[in-house]
Amino acid sequence: MVKRIAYAILTVFIAITLNFVLFRALSGDAVSALRCKQCSKAFKEAQRRDLGLDESKWVQYKLYLADLAHFDLGNSVPSEKPVRGELIVPIKNSLPMIALGTLFAIVFGTLVGVVAAWRRGTFADKGGLYTALGFYSMPTQWLGLMLIFFVAGAVGLPTSGIKTPTLGLFTDASTWEVAVDRFKHMILPALTLGLVLYGDYALIVRSAMLETLGEDYVLTARAKGLKNWTIVRRHGLRNAMLPIITLVALSLGFIIGGSITVEYVFSYPGLGLLTVEAIDKRDFPLLQAIFMLLTLSVIFFNLIADLLYFKFDPRVTT
Amino acid sequence: MRARTFVGVALAVVGLSAVLGFGAVSSGGAATAGASSSGVLRIGTVNYIDSLNPFNYIESQAVIGQMMVYPQLVQYSPAMKFEGDWASSWKTSKNGKDWTFRLRPNAKWSDGVPMTAADPAWTINTTVKYAKDATAVAAAALAHVKSAAAPNATTLVIHYESPVGNVLAQLEQFMILPKHVWAAKAGADGKGLKTYHPELHLPIVSGGPYTIEQYEKKGTTAFKPYPGFYGPKSHASGVALTYYTNSDAAIADLKRGNLDWADQVPFQAVKAVKKLSNAVVTSIPSGETTNITWNSNPAKKKHRELLDPRVKKALSMCVDRKQIIDVVFAGYATTVESIVGHISPLENPNLGPLRYNCAAANTALDKLGYTKGSNGIRVAPATSGANAEAAHPMQYEIMTPTSLDFNVNRAFDIVKKGFAKVGVKVTQKVGGDSTAAYAIETGDCSGPESKQYQGFDIAMWDWVGYLDPDFQLSVVTKDQWCSWSDTGANNPAYDKLYAKQGTTVNPNKRRAIVYAMQKIVWDNFYYTQLVNEFAIDAHSTKWTGFYPQLNAYSKRYWTNPSEK
Amino acid sequence: MSLIEPLQAADEDALAEGIARSSRPGFVRTAIAGNRAALVGLAILAFFVFVAVFAPFLEPYDPTAKTGPVYDPPSSAHWLGTDDGGGDMLSLLIAGSRVSLAVGFIAALVAILIGGTVGILSGYFGGKTDTVLMRFTDYMLVIPDIPLMIIAAALFGRNLKNIIVIIGIIYWTSTARLIRAQVKSVRERVYVKRAQALGAGNRRLVFKHVLPQVAPLLIANTVLMIALAIFAETFISFLGLGDPSTISWGRLIENAFTGEATINNAWWAIVPPGVCVTIVILACTMIGQSVEDALNPRLAVGHLSVRRFRVRTLDGKAGAE
Repeated sequence: MVKRIAYAILTVFIAITLNFVLFRALSGDAVSALRCKQCSKAFKEAQRRDLGLDESKWVQYKLYLADLAHFDLGNSVPSEKPVRGELIVPIKNSLPMIALGTLFAIVFGTLVGVVAAWRRGTFADKGGLYTALGFYSMPTQWLGLMLIFFVAGAVGLPTSGIKTPTLGLFTDASTWEVAVDRFKHMILPALTLGLVLYGDYALIVRSAMLETLGEDYVLTARAKGLKNWTIVRRHGLRNAMLPIITLVALSLGFIIGGSITVEYVFSYPGLGLLTVEAIDKRDFPLLQAIFMLLTLSVIFFNLIADLLYFKFDPRVTT
Repeated sequence: MRARTFVGVALAVVGLSAVLGFGAVSSGGAATAGASSSGVLRIGTVNYIDSLNPFNYIESQAVIGQMMVYPQLVQYSPAMKFEGDWASSWKTSKNGKDWTFRLRPNAKWSDGVPMTAADPAWTINTTVKYAKDATAVAAAALAHVKSAAAPNATTLVIHYESPVGNVLAQLEQFMILPKHVWAAKAGADGKGLKTYHPELHLPIVSGGPYTIEQYEKKGTTAFKPYPGFYGPKSHASGVALTYYTNSDAAIADLKRGNLDWADQVPFQAVKAVKKLSNAVVTSIPSGETTNITWNSNPAKKKHRELLDPRVKKALSMCVDRKQIIDVVFAGYATTVESIVGHISPLENPNLGPLRYNCAAANTALDKLGYTKGSNGIRVAPATSGANAEAAHPMQYEIMTPTSLDFNVNRAFDIVKKGFAKVGVKVTQKVGGDSTAAYAIETGDCSGPESKQYQGFDIAMWDWVGYLDPDFQLSVVTKDQWCSWSDTGANNPAYDKLYAKQGTTVNPNKRRAIVYAMQKIVWDNFYYTQLVNEFAIDAHSTKWTGFYPQLNAYSKRYWTNPSEK
Repeated sequence: MSLIEPLQAADEDALAEGIARSSRPGFVRTAIAGNRAALVGLAILAFFVFVAVFAPFLEPYDPTAKTGPVYDPPSSAHWLGTDDGGGDMLSLLIAGSRVSLAVGFIAALVAILIGGTVGILSGYFGGKTDTVLMRFTDYMLVIPDIPLMIIAAALFGRNLKNIIVIIGIIYWTSTARLIRAQVKSVRERVYVKRAQALGAGNRRLVFKHVLPQVAPLLIANTVLMIALAIFAETFISFLGLGDPSTISWGRLIENAFTGEATINNAWWAIVPPGVCVTIVILACTMIGQSVEDALNPRLAVGHLSVRRFRVRTLDGKAGAE
């Protein structure tokens, strides 16, 4: 187990270095604060000093690592303020929406996957399989547009933003009203993300269940006269849980990527939209910080899933 | 509209006539008594207020925001004439160099401190003092001002170095700050003036029709009516300005009844918005003109054939401006020739016009010696001398920013097709937002001049002109390099004329100079002017009393609308 | 070393069976022919390839010209209506198939070439080469693909060539792992050892013996990679980072978004491009899945997508598989 953590830390280090290589070494001049026209002279000088922009790449790298150790993520170029501050609110906005979408995908994916496997070959199976495949094949942003176009108006859901702007502004609004408002704004983006993920999960759960249900001990259980559902529940589901857990960790990369376009389509002010805006503004320090944050999250969740596997899978001994 | 151009608007001046400016014009100062009778005016916009510091801002909405919390000497009336804001009357000395303003008495800042002439006097003197550095952005409105004095609490005297013809138009963009708040912030060299952001230190000390309840740069800023305001009070019981990342979302909210006013309807959406039963669309000619920007830096090293006005004119002759109006602006635009736009009374009507004639364009280019290669693309012959270039095909990049209020990709497609018809190939380079795109045009402004304005050939952008052409004419002067200039033009004769028109008081004489300047710009094709846009906004049928023409020209823009 | 491994130890036997089966000639053909879904998928793909190839002849109008009013609903003149520039949607769709499919195929090819090479080298030579290459692959795997793609597109220019290269560079990793496992198992097979004993050089061995064995899996992987590449291209285009001078399905979706299609109720500008992308990806998925299923019917978890990975327990031993 210690080994895993050690490897994770090593991966983190590699990721940090890769980040530096990508944003500083490769792109060089293009992203240098020295080329920033709108920056004040004072800012440029400060950047030159702090980041060692006149020095060799090796010196710059060391400064970069030192900064990271102090949680200094650099300064955003357009605002000349620390990047750290700009990340907090968007992250707070994104997390609930992503969590909701992922939850939806897990619940429905598992449900459909289990039923499809259990009733293999029947209409339920085929139906589940093909809807999953269908959603899985859709471009996330297009699905979002479709939901906006066909669903939002019909159901009366908002299609942009995180809240109704004037709620609680000049008049008081109860916590409940605020919560409901936020939730209403969260539904469509979360649904978009969730549907594409659902396709993914349903397919995997189905396969995992099929495999488990084909195992010998299941045959034995059947021979013993156990009811189907009991078998599914007691043996199939529990053994399929592990792949599901790991799956969530592993699909994190896609969740993050998908949320960028979802937030763009729904103008949802989270980390994804921040990324798009940063690209538009050519705010490379901010992009660098976001990218590192995302990479580290993936590594972290991989490690968690790893440890969970270690804990729950009796076949694993190291 | 290009955000930064509005800074220019802020500096722009109206020289309607110095004559009209003389004399006392009283504003409708009778304040409506009693509390506001309407609900909250919910505005949706795609421009946000980035700062309430008049010395340091970029976005156009910031001008409006500042106008709502700071007093000004004068503003525009709904008939687009000057009316007093805080000033109730004014007069000029015989030699035209001293202007005396009488200010409304008994006004108070929102923190209870009395408003006196010491406030504008201090603001003007401080701005002039640091004009070269910290207060440069606001100082342009005070060009030629020597000093200001406050002989008593309600009298302000401004001393000019020489008689200036468009004083009121200049002052219309000038914001008066509360001395008791800002004087302490100045710091050494006035640097503190640029970094103080009152919107981040609420409550703001306001002298305008509103105070600020809540400020969210990219969210919703809430304005509450200030009962102690000296002028016409706000009819709405509050103003909520919400920023939308795309206008589609704002229109959707208007449709659903969550917004009362969408201040910019995208051209492609006008037809659909007009069909809405709960919204009214207003369109008025605006000061915004779109253009093809030609890098006109005489010291440009690459593709010097693009410095030749005859080449630029030929290329421009094959751009189908009517199709641009039809496809990109849904018909809500007209062609334009002068850089000052139709909005200016001093627009030169005798320019060009640029006729759409691809055949003539081809002939012209043939005659100039740019022969078509085997692939149909013309070749610029080799040149000799100081900036010699080898022969090369006429293939260029056109840089487009992303922050435009019209679909520049479609406009580019039309330009590309036109150029292709005369044998010139262009590809589109997406330049990022306005700041990033502008940096592409100027290059590194902290570096040597020889490296500036070398990084692009052609761009497509827009300008927001003002009633007085002063600002618009200034952007092609050498002085505006790395400030407002996007062409890198450098024409000493033109610059001399610019200086002259600034101090010419006789309106006819000034008109002649201004006309001549516009002709120089047209003849040299620093820009190819494409169209003059309409400004289109939409508001709920529940509200009335909007003055779309007063956008950033008057406090009435927000205070007047009321619920039916 | 990470969670991500293509096969459980137990499945290796199954894979070995699969490989034995797949060494019969015409394996891929049989695999697809026997699976109805795959046949449908193949037909669909063939149809779109046909459209893409003969696009200039099939387009009713010049897609870049304004041939009708802006946002005109479907009519007899314009079967799918017009877009925000007055261009015929049907022609745009047909023209878009060229770029979308081209990007899909070429980017997939790049990814397969890189991944395949890494996988073969790693699996064949084993030892140090294997360790180094696999570590590298592992680290590449943890980097979130879409953000990297988006940032790379923003940094390195917005032309088609760069986008193809970027997609290829980001997606080779799963292929590498897949191929590596296959190659390792093939390598142990008797005839390879025999050929080696006879003195055959490495190169000959790889090309004559190893490659044909891994070919079916490579094919399945390629098809899935095509789907992924098309998917990636729509993402890049949607954020405005695509090549502004090309028409692709992704670009059409972006045009609908930025061109106020929703407000104008222009469903014909929104629905068709997405449907095309979905159908093509679906087709590729079905084809790829059928080959994988045939390789190992019990391996039903499959490598259904290169976006997902089969889960394997970690056990720190690099050479465990």
